[in-house]
Amino acid sequence: MSREHGKGMSLIVKTITRLTVGLILLYGIYILSHGHISPGGGFAGGVIVALSFVHLMLAYGKDVALSKLPKGVTTFFESMGAILFLSIALLGFLTGYFFLNFLSKGKPFTLFSGGIIPLCNIAISLKVGAGLFAIFVALVLLKFDTEKKE
Amino acid sequence: MSLYLLCLVLFSIGIYCIVRKRNIIKIIVGVIIAEYAVNLFFILIAYRMGGRSPIHSPDTIISNMVDALPQAVVLTSIVIGLANTALLIGIAMRIYQKYRTFDITKIRDLRG
Repeated sequence: MSREHGKGMSLIVKTITRLTVGLILLYGIYILSHGHISPGGGFAGGVIVALSFVHLMLAYGKDVALSKLPKGVTTFFESMGAILFLSIALLGFLTGYFFLNFLSKGKPFTLFSGGIIPLCNIAISLKVGAGLFAIFVALVLLKFDTEKKE
Repeated sequence: MSLYLLCLVLFSIGIYCIVRKRNIIKIIVGVIIAEYAVNLFFILIAYRMGGRSPIHSPDTIISNMVDALPQAVVLTSIVIGLANTALLIGIAMRIYQKYRTFDITKIRDLRG
């Protein structure tokens, strides 16, 4: 992420991206971790996390963004989100029924409260963020036959 | 009531785009407009005049909230619309790859 990368957009866009992309990622993590006590949640946080990587790809070109988050890692995180959500739901069977909130509820309106709901939010955000970034990568990397020959 | 009718007008604009335009990209934009009109209609049904947001916090009493259920439904609808749009754009790109055009009146050849 420095000026030796020739591809991508102009120097102004690259500089602003370098300054803001970390803040966008951090804001997405904030939204998803406070999803059970304030507006937001897994989907909104995951979209913001994915948009930070999309931002990186738009400014610096696809090579830099794919070196930060390769396709294999994206696929792994997307599958991991679904498996985590299902296993959190299935763990309720240990003490009762499906989706049982088996953890301690904690003190209301604090960050560590709500039992399994923050964990579900994290699983959803993994799935949504990795899935949205994978859609964008798939649309970027799709090459037509004539373009391959050139 | 006039707001609901304006929603219907927006939905009709989307339907007009879908049935009348010939460019696939414009058809996709029409689908998105119609979908957002439905989302706006749901949110307008849930709105109470002077209501506050349906978030429970320690210092407020539960009264005069807007309806929370259509908001949750619309959130799900937005997710489905996102996946729908991605699928439509993917199909449009494959059609352009095969036929070299976005005009639906020129896409006639079944075997390419």
